[in-house]
Amino acid sequence: MSSPMEQFVIKPIIPIEIGGVDISFTNSSLFMILSVVCSTLFLALCLRKRTLIPNKAQSIPEGLYEFISGLLRENVGVEGLKYFSFIFTVFLFVAFGNLLGLVPYSFTFTSHLTAVGALSLIALALNVIVGIRKKKFGWLRTFLPRGIPWIMAPLIIPIEMISFLSKPFSLSVRLVANMTVGHIMLKIIAGFVVGLGILGMVPLLFDAIIVCFEIFISLLQAFIYTVLTCIYLSDAIHEH
Amino acid sequence: MPQLDFSVFPSQLFWLIVSFFLMLFIMSKFIIPKTSEMINLRKDKINGDLEKASEIKIKVEETLDKYNKSLQDANNRASLSLQKTKDELEDMINCKHSDLMFRLQSEIETGEEKIALSKDKALENIEDLSVELSIQILNKLGFSGVKPKDARAVIKNLKKEL
Repeated sequence: MSSPMEQFVIKPIIPIEIGGVDISFTNSSLFMILSVVCSTLFLALCLRKRTLIPNKAQSIPEGLYEFISGLLRENVGVEGLKYFSFIFTVFLFVAFGNLLGLVPYSFTFTSHLTAVGALSLIALALNVIVGIRKKKFGWLRTFLPRGIPWIMAPLIIPIEMISFLSKPFSLSVRLVANMTVGHIMLKIIAGFVVGLGILGMVPLLFDAIIVCFEIFISLLQAFIYTVLTCIYLSDAIHEH
Repeated sequence: MPQLDFSVFPSQLFWLIVSFFLMLFIMSKFIIPKTSEMINLRKDKINGDLEKASEIKIKVEETLDKYNKSLQDANNRASLSLQKTKDELEDMINCKHSDLMFRLQSEIETGEEKIALSKDKALENIEDLSVELSIQILNKLGFSGVKPKDARAVIKNLKKEL
């Protein structure tokens, strides 16, 4: 039986090296691109025949649109709607990454801390840019909230800085851990299917149930990731 | 653990940035505008319809007020006109009634006069007939030569006694 961790191994498909840095097109890159292509194709197909009274297909992107804008309004406020495209993309990118990973023999790029971490860093960079643009130097107050005595500053500032920098880490770890564990579980149980012969039907059935559960987890984790990104964005926009 | 293979980190980072920003570009330039366009169009249409409906409602209320006012005016005018006609008719009836009474009275009086004249004339004729009849009866009884003048005097006396 192959290792359950084998499914997470990144294999180069097209080797590329620029300036000594290896940026090969890997199976992970393929699924990142596939996530973009699939989500774009899916939404484009749904929006093919647009009518004033929405048809079933049209309701999907429109529902998604309303859902994300509702999420932004609730967590960030009307101001947050400026970053709608970003949040919408984050949700779709993560959701499609998670869902595509459930297809047999595919690759889950959201199970890699580097990929998700990079996405979280992009979100963090947006928060910093938005915060500085909105509050100018006042953004530094993020590390020393109002009402805290100056004498406490040497203690509070490092704590707040760690807390601020740990946000993308916790955001990434939550998603990565969920995806990794789910896939490991699937793989381990799938390993018993052949080994148990006719009794292998039991783990097969169990695997099928877990796949359904994983679909739910994939969407839920994408939702949680998006909500937390919205909350961090709200912290950047509003007073601490 | 493949997740900790540092050799693939640059590639992962690079392709994530490329794919994420590619998706962000596609979504913000094509998908989101297409989706929001229809949603906004629908919202505008609903708001427009609601606005139109409220405008129509205001117009209907105004028209209804005007109609009620016109109805009230018409009722008032009709009542006034009815009262006026009633008064006029009453005046006319009273006038006609008094006129008729006056005419009837004068006709009664004329009739009474005519009756009195006819009565007198009839009585005179009765006297003449009585005189003539009395002479003829007396002649039949054999008392000839009775003068009409005497006979008339006797009859007059009898009439007075009656």
